Amino acid sequence: MRNSERLNRSRIFYFSLFTFFIVVFGYLIVALQDLVLPVLMGTLAAYISLPGINYLRRKGIPKAFAIIILLGAFSFLVFVLGQKIVSAIPSDKEALELRIQLQYKLNENFLAFLGKKDFESEGNIVDNLIGDELDQMFESINSFLALNKSEVAEFQSYIDNALVSKRILFFYNDNLKHPILPAHEIKEITQTDGGMFPMVSATKSTSRIAIFLNAISTWIILPFVFIFILIDEGEIKNFFLGIVPNRYFEMAFTTFANVDKAIGNYLRGTLLQSALVGITIFLGLLFIGFKIQAAILIGIVAGISNAIPFLGPVIGLGTGILYAIIVEGIDPILPFLPDNPLLGVLVVVLTAQFLDNAVFQPLVLGKAVNLHPLVVVIGVTGGSIIAGFWGMLLAIPTIVIFKVVISTLYKQAKEYYIIY
Amino acid sequence: MEDPIKTKSLWKDYSSELISNKNKSLVEILKQIPLLSKLSKRELKIISKFAFERTFEPNEFVFKTGQPGAAMFIIKEGEVKIVKQNSDEDYVEIARLGKGDIFGELALLDSSPRSAGALVSEPTTAIAIFREDLNKLLETHPEIGGNIMMHLAIITGKRLKDTTAQVIRMENEMNELKRKLNEK
Repeated sequence: MRNSERLNRSRIFYFSLFTFFIVVFGYLIVALQDLVLPVLMGTLAAYISLPGINYLRRKGIPKAFAIIILLGAFSFLVFVLGQKIVSAIPSDKEALELRIQLQYKLNENFLAFLGKKDFESEGNIVDNLIGDELDQMFESINSFLALNKSEVAEFQSYIDNALVSKRILFFYNDNLKHPILPAHEIKEITQTDGGMFPMVSATKSTSRIAIFLNAISTWIILPFVFIFILIDEGEIKNFFLGIVPNRYFEMAFTTFANVDKAIGNYLRGTLLQSALVGITIFLGLLFIGFKIQAAILIGIVAGISNAIPFLGPVIGLGTGILYAIIVEGIDPILPFLPDNPLLGVLVVVLTAQFLDNAVFQPLVLGKAVNLHPLVVVIGVTGGSIIAGFWGMLLAIPTIVIFKVVISTLYKQAKEYYIIY
Repeated sequence: MEDPIKTKSLWKDYSSELISNKNKSLVEILKQIPLLSKLSKRELKIISKFAFERTFEPNEFVFKTGQPGAAMFIIKEGEVKIVKQNSDEDYVEIARLGKGDIFGELALLDSSPRSAGALVSEPTTAIAIFREDLNKLLETHPEIGGNIMMHLAIITGKRLKDTTAQVIRMENEMNELKRKLNEK
């Protein structure tokens, strides 16, 4: 009798504790959503680094030094890559020039594809068949790229101050011949009166600083999460296992260990695979004559997005193609490589994808967590709806973690006679 | 001055936990176990970091027959009976273990099902050491992991020899009984 009362009290206690924990955790997730991504990234980085730490410890290096070495290596990598990326990020003027150049080159390639001299003339068979549909698609792309009123005024000031090269000026004037109105022009007109662009850009830069500072203040937590998770000698695991009742203790530990192993292998496998794809594309683009900054940037984008099933390679290809459209006259390092940038990007991305499927994936065995393609497609789409690009990127690892946790828990619960 | 919110506790724990009284007593207990007796104090301190202390009530099972083995247990305080179910589903006591004894040590080798159950007969505190942690130890500190594995092999080998001797003795006794029966 006394025992059953105690059992009931225990149940009420654990249930209340669990509910309290869920409510507090849920509230914190919503209230501190800006911190979720840095904490998640710090945890992932620590998780991925664990074998590296173990390797250094096997070599006789104390854990604290091993963490410092890894942190130093990470910081160096982020610093070097960050510098390259920052130098590749265009200024306001360069961004406008890039858009003008991209719009011109897109139209030029589009007309060449349809076999037309200008938008009014007759084209080839493709133009006859689907020219109208493609025209509509291109109009929306053009309206996205075209400069709005305040941007036109800003660019005009650069022209007046003779800061624009003849080539860009030619592209700009040519773009103006094409009668496309920017999509958000009306919105912009209500926001800015004529000649107010200096104020607009001033506001823009202030907000950029604010965004930068905000990002720094939240992302500063990442290295701390990284360090403290690596320093942890099992205290986190011990805490959670400490609150597990005796009956589930061995099962809880085994589930924890199996999930840890499976997720660790999956994440490290995915990272290794993405890194290999990114490096392949970077080297490939370098060989076909792309600038080093551009090759690094496209390599990083292609590498990161490669973690997104199906869509990843398309994003990598798209980024490469966008750059290939703008770039003029590449000089391949090796003579047999194509000197057409578009063809070059296509060859590089296809080669990287071939290597990924034939060599990298079989090498990275740990990544073998089977997911139905439909789950992958719905997961990626759902992730993009919830949290944009990061949602797309993290959707599959999240699904994999849930799948591994649930399947391991189910298997262990059966083996320990907790469920039938 | 006492730190009221224990802001330094993480660093304090990290640097001083190894010499805390709790750890000292755990190291002393681990030192008494034949399986770990050859390890130095420094090595035992490393092991004590992944030793889980659990308290059990009388008539509570530490583990049951047939469950996959994941951990070895060391009795810190109390008493545990090693039991097996007979054909009537009653528990038959095979052995009674006390302070300093270990049980379930074969789980350190693989996850094969437990050959017997462990039933607590009086309030018990036991220390659990898991196979997965030992495997990690083999990666980070191969000399410690290797030492434990070697001693585990020696203990298992010794038990196998004892069991073989027991089987031979039982066979001799049975033959003796058969001979006596035939004589009658």
